[in-house]
Parts: sequence; structure tokens; C-alpha cells
Amino acid sequence: MDGPILEVAGLRVDIPVDGSTLRPVRRVDLTVGRGETVAIVGESGCGKSLTALSIMGLLPRSARPSSDHVRLKGEDISKASPRRWRKLRGDRIAMIFQDPMTALDPCYRIGDQMVEILRQHRSISRSDAQARAVELLGKVGVPTPEERLSQFPHQLSGGLRQRVMIAMALLCEPELVIADEPTTALDVTIQAQILRLLRDIQRETGIGLVLITHDLGVVAGVADRIVVMYGGEVVETGTCDEVLGAPLHPYTEGLLRSIPVPGETRQGERLGFIPGVVPRQSGEQTSCGFLKRCPYAMAECAGGPVAIRDIAHGRGVRCLLPPDPGARDPGLWTRFETEEVAS
Amino acid sequence: MTSDALIMRGVTRDYPVGTAFGRKQTLRALRGIDLTVGKGRTLGLVGESGCGKSTLAKILLGVEQASSGEVLVEGRPISGYGRLERAGLIQPVFQDPYSSLNPRMTVETLIAAPLAVRGIGDSALRRRRAREMAALVGLPDHLVSSYPSQLSGGQRQRVAIARALIGEPRILICDEPTSALDVSVQSQILNLLHRLKSELDLTMILISHNLAVVHHLADEVAVMYLGQIVESGPSAEVFARPRHPYTEALLKAVLPPRAGVRLPELGLEAEFPSPLRPPSGCAFHPRCRVADGLCAERAPERDGTNHSFRCHHPLGGGDQAAAMTTPETA
Repeated sequence: MDGPILEVAGLRVDIPVDGSTLRPVRRVDLTVGRGETVAIVGESGCGKSLTALSIMGLLPRSARPSSDHVRLKGEDISKASPRRWRKLRGDRIAMIFQDPMTALDPCYRIGDQMVEILRQHRSISRSDAQARAVELLGKVGVPTPEERLSQFPHQLSGGLRQRVMIAMALLCEPELVIADEPTTALDVTIQAQILRLLRDIQRETGIGLVLITHDLGVVAGVADRIVVMYGGEVVETGTCDEVLGAPLHPYTEGLLRSIPVPGETRQGERLGFIPGVVPRQSGEQTSCGFLKRCPYAMAECAGGPVAIRDIAHGRGVRCLLPPDPGARDPGLWTRFETEEVAS
Repeated sequence: MTSDALIMRGVTRDYPVGTAFGRKQTLRALRGIDLTVGKGRTLGLVGESGCGKSTLAKILLGVEQASSGEVLVEGRPISGYGRLERAGLIQPVFQDPYSSLNPRMTVETLIAAPLAVRGIGDSALRRRRAREMAALVGLPDHLVSSYPSQLSGGQRQRVAIARALIGEPRILICDEPTSALDVSVQSQILNLLHRLKSELDLTMILISHNLAVVHHLADEVAVMYLGQIVESGPSAEVFARPRHPYTEALLKAVLPPRAGVRLPELGLEAEFPSPLRPPSGCAFHPRCRVADGLCAERAPERDGTNHSFRCHHPLGGGDQAAAMTTPETA
């Protein structure tokens, strides 16, 4: 049994802005095993995309990342030199972005963009690289792959462009692929095809996949494990079934009860929601980050930052409540929501 | 007939498109839309990008004109209304509250703008109405003098809704009203729209790619594919027993956030066709799992009355209900 492909411990990102410091990522620990899909879930501003960018070494220059370690197959890449990064990126770690129209270069043909990646990392002839590009385009379901090589990104549909992005990410057989909202810009029917494709490829190649998304439905369809983020912290981890089936953190619980599910929620039924807004991420924490939006908040929650508690192997929650969702009174949510509406 | 808020009969919309070699082509965005929305009803309009749903919304808002066919609003042709009169009757709520609100105006001014444009009341009255609207959509009173940049996404969308409703329109056109919002906020806006439509007896057109949202709010649903309505009917009926294979695929594509959900097999392999070159016969046939020779040759006529569909081989119903009610479990 191999060790994990990716190990992130104590990741933190600070961004100095006008004299104060934003802390969009406070504490992130993450492990991805071979052939495993780990979904990082959270709403805008929770730090999920910055987490991905810092793993890829692609943070904006103003950001100050720090961590205990970020290990790729044992090698600490958090302090890798730009030279080393050029070798790692595209070869051993690859990224799939949300919007393939902006991630692909509009001025270069698909084939040239793909060949460039291969020739950057492998000593391979141009014709061999082209053959490999055609092979991968075919594998990700792009029809008539030979013809696509000479096309420009704008000549392809959104779904095809995303397939091209996936093929590019896989060219050098990376160990880890990070996909940031890979299907958010696509139509629902295309989304299902792309998710299926990602899953099939992962099963076949055994890559580790980090899937960043706000869509819990997508997560349910493809993830093995879920990492829920709120306010720059990991607030809950567990297998897909554990987190979706029996959420422990009130934030996860709140998210799940606010999504209408045809066949479960009745038409026009009042949906749950999480009162309040995401707090601004600056300064150090003096209490639980979810305190003000939590219907179950107790006096202890204001006492200081809450540490993540390990419930079982791979199952953790950053909450002081007893880890028993059944013991909670869902009526508290309704009361809390009514107060919000009244105020 | 006067009980219908909106009637569309045979509405088409063509756009001339130039090609690289100067040949003129016609993009047929709408290919004969027949649609009726009763007063106080909510119609959900679903379909993939490029199916013409936004063109349809633009025609209803009077931003675009139909190339042929007839659009009746409260019994009168839409072209018979003046611009301001139409604006008093039909109002839009757009997808992105970040770009649809002028960043230099306060919430109060933004909400009162439709009244100011139509010259209704003096500024004191308009301000009072704006505050009433803010309260109606659940915006705290202290926010009325803020600027959009000081608001959260959900609050901005409330401003957009308040602005749409201040002139007491009869019809609200919501184009992806929650797509730009976070999940925990989306539900608040859905609750709000649901409350307002019954409180104010609004007729609503809800355009969304999110079928769960449409299922939640719409009384009726119309499924569009390449400029045509391929299936329409009472939403409970269509969701439980889709007759068109495309509707079935859309329903299957909904991923509920539940443990043990499996990725659906949609059986849609080909890509969405270019509206410049719609396929022969039934426009859906290249992607359809039940298509045969007939489908490639002849376009299907509309069938059924209350729950209607355009398909040579409609699905039987019954077993399809499974697509929506019990997600496949592993």
C-alpha cells in the first residue's frame, strides 16, 4: 500500500490589504490517497479556491502562504523553487479550471497547446506528441480528435472545451489533479457526462483527484470523501455517505436543509436557510467561526477558537456539540430563522 | 380569455448572422412558440444554453420583437403597449445582482427608480414606497441608504426584486434569479419569491437551468429545445411522468445531495446542435435514445392537450417517475 499522494497540514494564507491582513485560509489539513476523490465543499469566500491555488503554487503575488507541510508523494512542495515548480506543474500535478474559455489560450490551436505541454516535460518528438494528444482527446470523448488539433478554442462548444482541458491535464499522467468547479459553467446534461468522464479516468489511472465545488449534488455523485470548509477552516470531514447522511457540523446541516430536492421537499414548502452572512476574514479568531450563524450556539462556543475533533478515522468536526445529530432539536433552526426575518 | 396573463402563438425570432465569406445566414432562435400562462400562475421555463429561453424572455420584456406570431399580454398585443405602460406591467429580475444594480446609487434610489422613470409621485412618496418595498422583501431598514457594494449577494437580489415590484407589475420575469447566489442564500430568495407570488397574485415566468428550483416554484413547466417547446404541462405531472426523452434526461441529470447517489446514465451522447444548422425532422433526434428513421425525416406535431409534447415515440410514464422521486442508490 502506497502512502498518500497529497498531504497538506496547517495550510494558511494571509493577504495584507491596506494595513490590515485578510485571512482567507486559516487552517486546512487535507490528505488525498491514490485513486481517491476528495471534494472540498463550501460557499463563496470559504477559502476553497485559494486552498487549491496554494497547493498548485499559483497564489497571487500579494498572498502570503504558510504551512507545516504540503507533500506530494512525500516531497515537500510548499517551498519548491520556481524552477522546480515548472517541472511539477503539468507533469505531476495538473489543474482543471472552471471556465475553459479563459483557461485555454485563444490564440493557439488546440494541438499546439497540447504538444507544448508534452514537449515541456518529456523529450518527445513533435509527431509523437501529436499522436499522444490525439489519443487523449479520443479518450476523453472528443469526436474526430485529429481534426480538433488544428482548431482554436472558440471553435469548440463549452462541453468540448472542458474535455480538451481534461485531456491536457492528463497528458503527462499526473499523480494529482485538482479540478476547481469543473462543471459549473456547463449545462446539466453536459455536467453529468463530464463527471462520469472524470470518474472513469480516475478509476482507470488511479490519480488522486481534488474536486472543488459548491454543489453538494456533484459531490454526492463522485466524491469518496468530503472536506467542508467555512470561513477559511475545515469544519467537517468524512466519507461522502457520512457527511451527507449524518452531517455533524451545524453549517453542513444548514446547507443540506436549504437545498430543494424534487421528490423530497414539497412544492412551495418553506426551505431552510442559514441566517446571517459570512464574516469578514480578518484578524485572529476569538470564538468558533460559525458562532453568529449557529442555532445551537452555547456559551462555550464564544470562549475561543474551536479545534477539530476526531470522531473516528477520517471523520472529524470542528464543533463543541456532542457528535450526535439525532440529539439536536431541528426546531431551533426554525426559531433562529424567524428571529433573523423579524430583526 | 382575459384570465390569461400571457399568450404566445406561433412566435418565431430570426437573427441574421453574417459568415466569414459574406454569406448571409439566419439563426432561428425561436421556431414557433405556443404558450399560455394563466393569471397568478408561475411558469418554469427550462432548457440548455442556446435553446432560446432568454430570447423568449426578451420578447416578453419588449426588448426584442418577434419575427412572426403573436404575443398577447393581458389580452392585448404587446406591440400595442407604450414603453412605460409595458414597464408598469412586466418587470424583470436578472441573474446577477452584481451587474444589474448601478453601483453608484443607494438602495433607496435603486428601488424607487421605476417610479421615478414613470414620473409617479414626488420624491418623498417615492422614498416612502421604496422603504415599504424594502420591508416587503426582507431588507433591514438601515440598509436603504447603503450602496450595492455594501450588500451581500442575497441582499442585492432582494433589492432587484423590490425594484421590480415597486411599480406593482402583474408579471414578473425571473431569469435565473438564484444561479449567482450561494446555496444557503438561494433558499431564502426562493422562499421570498414564493411568498410574494401568492401575496401579490403575481404571474411569474421562471427561467432556470436548475430543475430543482423550477420544481419548487413552478405550477407549470415548459421544456425548450432548440427554439421549440418540446414538452409542457402542470409541473407535478411533467416531473412525475415526463413524455419527452429530453425532459427525462434533464430530470435524471439532477443530482440530489444525498448519500449513495450514483451518477445518472443520461443516454445523451452527442453535443447540443448548432442553432444555425438544426437537425432534420425532430431537432432532438441525434441525441435521442429512442429515435428511429421517422424522427430524422419528419418533425413531430404537438400532441396532448393539458400535458403536451412533441415526440413520435413518447415515453409511457409510470416507470419514469423513478427518475425524480427515488434517486438511484448504490
